[in-house]
Amino acid sequence: MAVAALQLRLILCPGSRGLRSFASAARPAASRGGPRSASRSERPLRRKALPPRTEKMDVDQDWPSVYPVAAPFKPSAVPLPIRMGYPVKKGVPMAKEGNLELLKIPNFLHLTPVAIKRHCEALKDFCTEWPAALDTDEKCEEHFPIEVDTADYVSSGPSVRNPKARVVTLRVKLSSLNLDNHAKKKLIKLVGDRYCKTTDVLTITTDRCPLKRQNYDYALYLLTVLYHESWKTEEWEKNKTEEDMEEYVWENSSSEKNVLQTLLQMRASDGSSVAPSREELLGTKEVEDYQKCVVQLKNEGENEENLSQYKESVKRLLNLA
Amino acid sequence: MALRAACAAVCRRWRQELGNLSVNGSKSSTAQTGGLLLTSVRWAPLSRLHIDVPKDLTKPTITTSDEPDTLYKRLSILVKAHDKAVLDSYEYFAVLAAKELGISINVHEPPRKIERFTLLKSVHIFKKHRVQYEMRTLYRCFELKHLTGCTANVYLEYIQRNLPEGVAMEVTKTQIQQLPEHIKKPMWEALTEEKEESKS
Repeated sequence: MAVAALQLRLILCPGSRGLRSFASAARPAASRGGPRSASRSERPLRRKALPPRTEKMDVDQDWPSVYPVAAPFKPSAVPLPIRMGYPVKKGVPMAKEGNLELLKIPNFLHLTPVAIKRHCEALKDFCTEWPAALDTDEKCEEHFPIEVDTADYVSSGPSVRNPKARVVTLRVKLSSLNLDNHAKKKLIKLVGDRYCKTTDVLTITTDRCPLKRQNYDYALYLLTVLYHESWKTEEWEKNKTEEDMEEYVWENSSSEKNVLQTLLQMRASDGSSVAPSREELLGTKEVEDYQKCVVQLKNEGENEENLSQYKESVKRLLNLA
Repeated sequence: MALRAACAAVCRRWRQELGNLSVNGSKSSTAQTGGLLLTSVRWAPLSRLHIDVPKDLTKPTITTSDEPDTLYKRLSILVKAHDKAVLDSYEYFAVLAAKELGISINVHEPPRKIERFTLLKSVHIFKKHRVQYEMRTLYRCFELKHLTGCTANVYLEYIQRNLPEGVAMEVTKTQIQQLPEHIKKPMWEALTEEKEESKS
């Protein structure tokens, strides 16, 4: 553009070919002292302000090549009549030229739908498809029982790190693990609060290692240890008392003893000579029915149905019906 | 001033003629411009001065490996900002990108949080005159379902590179995995077998 300006001056004054003579011809009267009196070649040539680029833009131009990346708002490059700012009284918001409000706010001029589609076309080659066989959550549960939750954080600040990023949560359903009855109960006792009875999900949250992959390895290690330890039977487990039981068990319970005692007394008072043995008494239908009702009551809690069933079974047991 | 106006007028006319030059490509107009040495100089049309990115750049190569891809059941992206308009634009961008890449996406807006505090207006005394500030945090949550590891990495990198200024993001990934080999059976049986073998 400097070359253009120079050649322009040569057109206007074809006789004076020298720069110095032109300088003197242009400014004969204005004699400024001091540093301004330096010749024109040493001062930078002042460019004229050109009309904005928006005047030359076609309507169907390729916009992503005007704004290929995130760039500040250039009023001379955006052909939109945007106004922004709080207006004065009986006025309108300020125009886009020299508007700081438009510079402050992040603009999405580089992310027009056309640009996004182009980017995605290029990115599609790097994507893989989700396996079509795993379309429902149940199938995912069945084939991939373990779920690992991790978190990542993106923000601007003095530091890139976020201490919450190293937390790893591992969730698994106990029904998908290979456990027998004793192992399951022992695992639930070992794990305590981390097991949810309603959803049958064991949740292990690890935070103690400084890196996320270390926490993930630790969570898997915990799961492995819990699994293998729950299959072991220690010697002190034989001392399990009735208070430690998770659910009500009929055998060797006080209810069983009471029933046997009552039935023996009934038979004795009836006057039969043969005293029936324990196994015979336990094998009768009424006693089994009673056992079922008691177990149901104790494990599931009291409701109308359970109580009425219990009443019927007691009546049948004591021959009152 | 008159000189400047004259210069501007000539500039404009000259530029139009340059435009004609590039279109016609003929040398006939050199005579009109008063013997300037234009023939040796190629003038690019000024409206298209912006040079496009050369199209023969080598594309990043796609590498495939044999290890199985990780599977993500759910990807939850929470975006936080101070400005609702920025979040709306970002949501449009994220949703369109997900649709183009074939990912199912749901968007919802958790309620905003405003943190307010009151400070004394003056440096010294004047307890009755205070000033109040507030910080508004607005949220937007994108839930993506059923992604593979490759797709998730591509999508997240694209989204995060175009995250606007002043916006923060939290990504929660739920990965699903098969049971590892060492949990399939308890190891005590294998240990007892080994002990017997070593004894015998």
